[in-house]
Amino acid sequence: MGEFKVHRVRFFEYMPSPIRAMAFNSRTDRLAVARGDGAVEIFNFADNYFQEKVIPGQDSRAVEALCWVGQRLFSAGLNGEITEYDLENLRPKYTVMAYGGPAWTLSMSTECFLCQVGCEDGTVKMFEILEERIQFQRNHDRQKGRIISLSWHPSGTHIAAGMMGMIRIFETETGSPANKEVVVWSVAFLSDHTVISGDSAGKVQVWDGFTGTLIKTHLITKWDVLALSDQSSLVAGTSEGTVTQFQFLPLIVGQQDKEWVRTRTFKNHSHDVRALAHTETAVVSGGMDTQLVVQPLLDRVEKNTQESALRKIAFPHRSLVCCAKKSGLLLFQFPEHLELWRLGESDGHGKPGDSLPVRKKPEKLIHLKRKGEDHICCSALSPCGGWLAYTTVSSVRLYRLQYNNNSISIKKLPKLPKELCSAHQLCFSSDSSKLFASSKHSSVIVVALGQSECKYLHTLKPKSGYGTTEQPVHLLFVSEDSKWLAAANTGCEIHIYNLNKLKLHCTVPVYSSCPTAIAIHPVTSNLVTVHANQQIFEYSLAQKEYTEWSRKLQKQGLHNLWLERDTPITHISFNPNNQAHIILHDMFMLCIIDQSLPLPDRKTLLYNQMTLRSVPESERLRHSHAFKICKNFQHLLCVSTLEDQALVVVERPLLDIMSQLPAPVRQKKFAT
Amino acid sequence: MAKDQRGKTTTSPSKKTDTEKQTEDTTMVFESSDDEAPEEVTFDASRTEALRSMKQALDTARREKELLKEKRRKRQELFQEQKKIKLLSDDVLEEMDSASSKKQKQSEAEEQRQDEGENGKKKKKKSRKMEHSRNLKGNYRVATVKVVGALASSQQQAAEDFIQSRLYGAGSCRTTNNELLSLQNKTGRNKGAAVQFVKKDWACKQKAKAEKLKKRWIHKQHIPSC
Repeated sequence: MGEFKVHRVRFFEYMPSPIRAMAFNSRTDRLAVARGDGAVEIFNFADNYFQEKVIPGQDSRAVEALCWVGQRLFSAGLNGEITEYDLENLRPKYTVMAYGGPAWTLSMSTECFLCQVGCEDGTVKMFEILEERIQFQRNHDRQKGRIISLSWHPSGTHIAAGMMGMIRIFETETGSPANKEVVVWSVAFLSDHTVISGDSAGKVQVWDGFTGTLIKTHLITKWDVLALSDQSSLVAGTSEGTVTQFQFLPLIVGQQDKEWVRTRTFKNHSHDVRALAHTETAVVSGGMDTQLVVQPLLDRVEKNTQESALRKIAFPHRSLVCCAKKSGLLLFQFPEHLELWRLGESDGHGKPGDSLPVRKKPEKLIHLKRKGEDHICCSALSPCGGWLAYTTVSSVRLYRLQYNNNSISIKKLPKLPKELCSAHQLCFSSDSSKLFASSKHSSVIVVALGQSECKYLHTLKPKSGYGTTEQPVHLLFVSEDSKWLAAANTGCEIHIYNLNKLKLHCTVPVYSSCPTAIAIHPVTSNLVTVHANQQIFEYSLAQKEYTEWSRKLQKQGLHNLWLERDTPITHISFNPNNQAHIILHDMFMLCIIDQSLPLPDRKTLLYNQMTLRSVPESERLRHSHAFKICKNFQHLLCVSTLEDQALVVVERPLLDIMSQLPAPVRQKKFAT
Repeated sequence: MAKDQRGKTTTSPSKKTDTEKQTEDTTMVFESSDDEAPEEVTFDASRTEALRSMKQALDTARREKELLKEKRRKRQELFQEQKKIKLLSDDVLEEMDSASSKKQKQSEAEEQRQDEGENGKKKKKKSRKMEHSRNLKGNYRVATVKVVGALASSQQQAAEDFIQSRLYGAGSCRTTNNELLSLQNKTGRNKGAAVQFVKKDWACKQKAKAEKLKKRWIHKQHIPSC
C-alpha cells in the first residue's frame, strides 16, 4: 500500500444552478431538468438515475417550462422563444419566436399534436407540432393579465389558464377573481373536469371545472405554492421546501364519496421547490437548492429495498476539473468562464494523517471568460499545461499558454481546421502533440498541435450501420503511450481506436448500463470501465477480451454496499508507483482497488480501513481485501494523481454551496 | 352671499349703490360713515340681489364647462389628426401585409435567426439604414427590425423582475442561509456555533488602511537599523 501526499483543494467555487422546470417521459424513463442558467440535463431513471446528457445553457435562455412529445423535448422561456432540442447532438435544434413577450408556460397534448404557450401579453398561443418543426396556428382571446400556468384537460377540449388573481377555462368562460392580487403559479386540469390550482397565498384549491365554483381549499403553507404535478396523485411544491401529496380518497373507509385529501408531506429541500414530476413509483422534486430529489412513494415500492430509498442528486455526473499531471495545474470549468490554478507546495514530511504546512499558496493564473452567449460545454488542459481548449454548442476554441518565470501568457489560435467546428468532449494526448475531439455520429477528430498552430489529421469513425452510433460521446480517454483511444457514448457503446494505424481497433461488448468513467492503464493497456449500476470491468485491448481479474470480479460479484452507493464514479486514475492500483472516486468516497489483494465476498466488511489500523501491522495483510475506501474527503468533485506521487483531491462541501444560495423563507420556530 | 340682516351691510359693490337708501334703525354704526345711519336693505332688494348673484354663478359655471368641452374637443381632433399622420395609409399596410404575412415572418425568423426578425406591431416609420428595407409610396420606408433587441430583452428582464419581486420582494418573509444553517447547528445533537460566527466583511476599507499604515510603520522602523 503506497502513501500519498494529498493536495486538498477547496478553491473550486463551484455553484450549481437552481432547477426551474422538469418533465418526465414515462415511455423512455427519462427526466429532463431545466436549470436557471438555461442548461438542460437528461437523467436516465432506468439506469440508476445516471445524468446521461447535458445541453449547456445560454445567456438569454431562461427556461420556464419543459415538455416531452414522444421522444422530442421542447422548452419555452422568458426570452419569448420555444426551443426544440436535438438530443443526439446536444444542442438546440431550432427556436421559434412566440411573439407574445416572455413565455411563462408550455402545455402539450400528445393526442392532437398541439402545443399551447402562455405568454406575458395575456394570450394563449396554439402551435401545431409537425415532424420537423412547430407551426403557429392561432391565438386564443387575449386576457388582461399574464398567463402564468396552463393545463390541458386530458381529452384536449379545454384548457385551464392560471393568471394573476384568477383561473380561466377556455371553451367555457368562467373565472373567479380573488380579493388580493394572487398569482396562480400552477394549474392542473383533471379528466373529471376538476381544476386544481396552487397560488401565492399558499393554498391548493379544488374547483369544479364546469361551474367554476370552489369545492375545497387546503392551506398548506404560509408562502407560495409554486408547482403542481398530477398523475397518479397530486403533489404540490412550496417555497418552504416541502412537497405535499393529495390523494382522491373517500373520507370514511368504505364510503363512496371521494374527495381530495392531504396525505403526506415531505421536507426534502431547504429552499423553494420550483419543479415537480411523477414517475410510476416516485415523486421527483427540484428547486432553488439545486438538488434533484427522488422520493419513492411507499405505497408503490417494497419497503427496505434500494428502490425505496430517498435519492438526492447534487453534483453533475461528469468531471468539471481537469488536472495537468506533469505541471501541477488545475482547470476548473464554470458555465461562463474557465479558471486555471497552480497548486500550492509544501516541503514538510509527516506521518499519515498529518496536515503539512503550506510553503507556497495556490494561485489563480488565468480567468478566461467565454466569448458569445453560449455556455461552455466541455474543457481540457494538456498534461504539460501548454494548451487549453474549450467547446460550446457553436464553436471550439484553442489557446496556447506560455510560462516565463512567474508570468503566464495566453494566446488564442485564430484559425482552426474547419472540421473542428463543435465537439462534445475534448482530450489531449500525454505528450501534448495531439488534440482529440468527439463529433457527430460518435466520430473523433484528430488534430495535430504544432508550435502555435494546429492541423487536421484524421477523423476516426466507428463502424456505421450497427449499434446506436447516433448518440453523443460523453467519455474520451487516450492512453499514456498515445497508442489507444477509447470513446464511450450514451448508447452504452465503447469504441477503441488504434492511433498508430488511425483506425477502429475493436468495440467493447455492449453492457446494458451506461459507462460513467473509462481509463486505460499506462502499463498493462487494459481498459477499466465503471458503469452507472456500479459494475466494474477490465478489458484487455491487446487480446480483445475481458481480463482474468475482471472475470474473477464478475464471478464473485461486487459487495452489496458497493452496489448500493447512489452516486456514480466519475473519474479513474492510476498510481505511477504501483501498477496494481486503480483509484476511483464518487461524491462521498475515494477508493483504491488493489488488484493484487483478494476480492471481498458478501460477508466481509467493506469499509475496513479503520479496523485494519487497529490490527498490528503483521496481521494486516491477512485481513485486507482489494477495496480500500477512504471517506476523509467530502464532497468530492475530482480525484487525480500527479506524476510526483501526490494525489489531488478537489472538494466542494455542500455547506459551502448552500451558504451562497438565494434566501430561504424564514420559519419562526419556538425558542429560536 | 350676504344675508338680509338689518343694520349690517357688506362691502360688496352692489351694496354700495344701495347705501343711498336711508334706514331708520339705530343699530350699529358703520365704520365707513360716522354720521350716517346704517342703511337698511329691504327684503325684496336683497332677494333679487341673491337671485342675481346665483344666476351669475350658474352662468359662469356653465360657460366654463362649455369652454372646457371646446378645449377637449379641439385637443381630441388634434390627436386624431396626428394619429392619422403617424399611421401609414391603408394601402401601404396592405402592401406590407402581402409582402410578409405572419407565417412568413416565422419562417424568416427561423432561417435568419441570427440577423433579422420582424416586428409587425410597430407601425411607426423608421428611417434607419437597415437590410431588407424597401421604399414605399411617399416618405415611408419599411425595414425589418432585429428581434433580439432592446424590446425583447427588456421584456425578459421585466418578467424576471416580476418573479424576483413576488418570491423575494417585500413581504416575502425571507431569512439568510447563515441563519438557516446556524439553526441546525443550534438545535442539532452536537450543538455548535453559528456557521458564520464572525462577520468577516465588516469595515474592509478601514482594515486595508490599517494594513497599509502598519507596513509603512514597520518600514520606517527598519530604515535606521539597516
